Amino acid sequence: MHLVNDLIVFLAANLILSQALGISTMFIAAGSRRNLVGTACCIMVFTTVGTMAAYLIDSALPSRLSDLRLLFYTLAVGVMYIGSLGAVYSIKRLDFAVIRKYIHLSAFNCAVMGTLFTISDKARSDSSLMNFAEYLKFGFEAGLGFITAALILTAAYRKLNSSKVPASFRGFPAMLVYTGIISMAVYSLK
Amino acid sequence: MNENKRSVFAGILGDNAVLSGLMVISPVIVCGDHIRNALVLIYAFSTITFLSVIISSFVPRKLPYAVKIMIYAVISSLVYLPVRTAADTFFPDSVDRIGIYFPLLAVNSFIVFQSEVRFFRMPRVKMTLSLLFYIIGFDAVMLITAFIRELFAYGTINSKMADADTLISGLGEPFGGFIFLGLMCGVYRKIRSMVSRSKNTARGETDASGK
Amino acid sequence: MLKKAKKERLIWLDIMITLSALELMAYFYYGVRAAALGCLCVGVSLIAEVISQRAMGRRFTADDLTCTSDALIISLMFSAAMNYKLAVFACIFAVVAAKNIFGGRRNMIFSPAAAAYIFILTSWSKELLMYPEPHDHLGLTEKPDELVYSASHTFNITGKMELTDFEILMGNFSGPAGSLSVLLLVISAVMLIFRGDISAGAFLGSVSGTAALALISPVGESRIDSVGYSIVSNMVLFASVYIIADKRIAPHRDFYAFFYGFFIAAFAYVIVLTTAKENAIIMVSVLFTPVALGLKNLEKRIDKAIDQEKNEAAELLAVKEQKGGATYE
Repeated sequence: MHLVNDLIVFLAANLILSQALGISTMFIAAGSRRNLVGTACCIMVFTTVGTMAAYLIDSALPSRLSDLRLLFYTLAVGVMYIGSLGAVYSIKRLDFAVIRKYIHLSAFNCAVMGTLFTISDKARSDSSLMNFAEYLKFGFEAGLGFITAALILTAAYRKLNSSKVPASFRGFPAMLVYTGIISMAVYSLK
Repeated sequence: MNENKRSVFAGILGDNAVLSGLMVISPVIVCGDHIRNALVLIYAFSTITFLSVIISSFVPRKLPYAVKIMIYAVISSLVYLPVRTAADTFFPDSVDRIGIYFPLLAVNSFIVFQSEVRFFRMPRVKMTLSLLFYIIGFDAVMLITAFIRELFAYGTINSKMADADTLISGLGEPFGGFIFLGLMCGVYRKIRSMVSRSKNTARGETDASGK
Repeated sequence: MLKKAKKERLIWLDIMITLSALELMAYFYYGVRAAALGCLCVGVSLIAEVISQRAMGRRFTADDLTCTSDALIISLMFSAAMNYKLAVFACIFAVVAAKNIFGGRRNMIFSPAAAAYIFILTSWSKELLMYPEPHDHLGLTEKPDELVYSASHTFNITGKMELTDFEILMGNFSGPAGSLSVLLLVISAVMLIFRGDISAGAFLGSVSGTAALALISPVGESRIDSVGYSIVSNMVLFASVYIIADKRIAPHRDFYAFFYGFFIAAFAYVIVLTTAKENAIIMVSVLFTPVALGLKNLEKRIDKAIDQEKNEAAELLAVKEQKGGATYE
């Protein structure tokens, strides 16, 4: 029983379905299974590690300087971005050319930055969330949410790009309407 | 119109950032349900994007790609600060309503990634003009979306009551934004293909008469 | 191809016959307004279909008449007192946004009727979920003096249905115009299953999913009553026949279709039990669309693997025969 309700809550809190964060990245990720796995893994790493950094920034930054959050988050994500590229280059040099495109795609996008801002805003309005574990949990859940939304899109990807779909709607427009209808079903169950 | 001029104007119709490239769509979907939100977003996007891209164009081309991307993001985060302060003064109510989408505009893929592909290979004057038209393209989509969604979802135009007897409240929700933007993208593509077809026909006729 | 098209038309005809019977029942309970609502939905859907087919550069053919069965399903899920304008919106949404944008009947993703129902629910839930009493016959433009909550709503809140078995069987209780006549729905389900018009696996899965969950965790005090009421309320039976078991959406193999239906029903039951959300099965069926698509993709892959295996076996046999022939020669 709780599992079903938790699943509904999880879907309703999904950053893509409810806030459209990272939607264009998801459209690219759902293109092929390889893209999906690569992008999803990268986004998961960036949201999880990013929220840890966001926690440190939020706890150190006085609230009157909250406008500086963007700058610090950008620096943190930038360091992660260059760090992860460096790490992949030194560990898996052969696969670097393949993996780096997922890192490029995942670093500076709304899914990652949106996750950091969302948890930060939540923690500001509810002080019980202002701890490392909550931030980490939120980052991990956001990553999972991205994977879920990408899987939902992957299931219909071939149909949405089929030659049977009118040329004007083939691809992105059909994907937007499809995501909209799924999002509508989730909204109606909230 | 020659090819050169066409590429400058592409940002409005031929290659609209939102409808063609699906860039910066989250604010359009979530916040584009009200004209007053749209105005703040237009102000924020136009200012941040214009200043960031112009400043970023001075970053040396020889730097590694990842370093350049990071520098572009940092530049736009710095540009965000005065823009945000000004927005708090000019639009005190609307800024809060937009929430996280305001800072997210500063790190949108248009500034961070696409500027490298679209603008920095052009001469500076052409780049500035082209950038302006891309910004106008985004602004137009944002305004049209907000106008239609506000009218049909809330029955108002810029918060003033309008004579709409049946309201579709779902259109004001994010899912309404998804569906509406999807439909708009489809209509945009249809218009674009019709325009290019008629141009090709006209060109064909001119060629035939020339022969 | 011709055989497939012919079969499609026969399926549509069978479904239309059963839906017309339900529409007739709605007319009996609610008067001419229920019938007018059905006709309006069919008319609007037809016009929307013709226009959107033209816009797509296709010709409208007899196969495209499936939009009329979707329209009747929509009208039967509505209250008989439903605003005509909202019915028009629902039909346009079903035909244009939930069907033809994705390529129409040859590339179905969602059940158009279910998507249209949710579209109306998210914007006009009050108009959708308030119903006239049965036998409250309404004229064409007449509005009922008083609208009431559905029997499903009462059941979801209290766990009880103050109705006799006969009333339940005949659908003599407040609710959507045509989805109440339990007896007719059962007859329709049996007929459609035997004619191969709906997915038997999905239908059985859906009914058994609801029954199993109602037995494990009953809504009321009695488990038996809970099973019966859970199946007849919240449009479970109607959705099982016309939405979940829709062959255009459900997985083709009965085995997969059964689990598809089972999980939709189980999911919907838990939502009804924990949140008292009315007609949750319709929303859940749309939410499970990716699951249906995923299962269909899996079926295709299995079919492909089987074909490949068969071809390889045939090639091997041919090589063997050739070798045998050569030795003989």
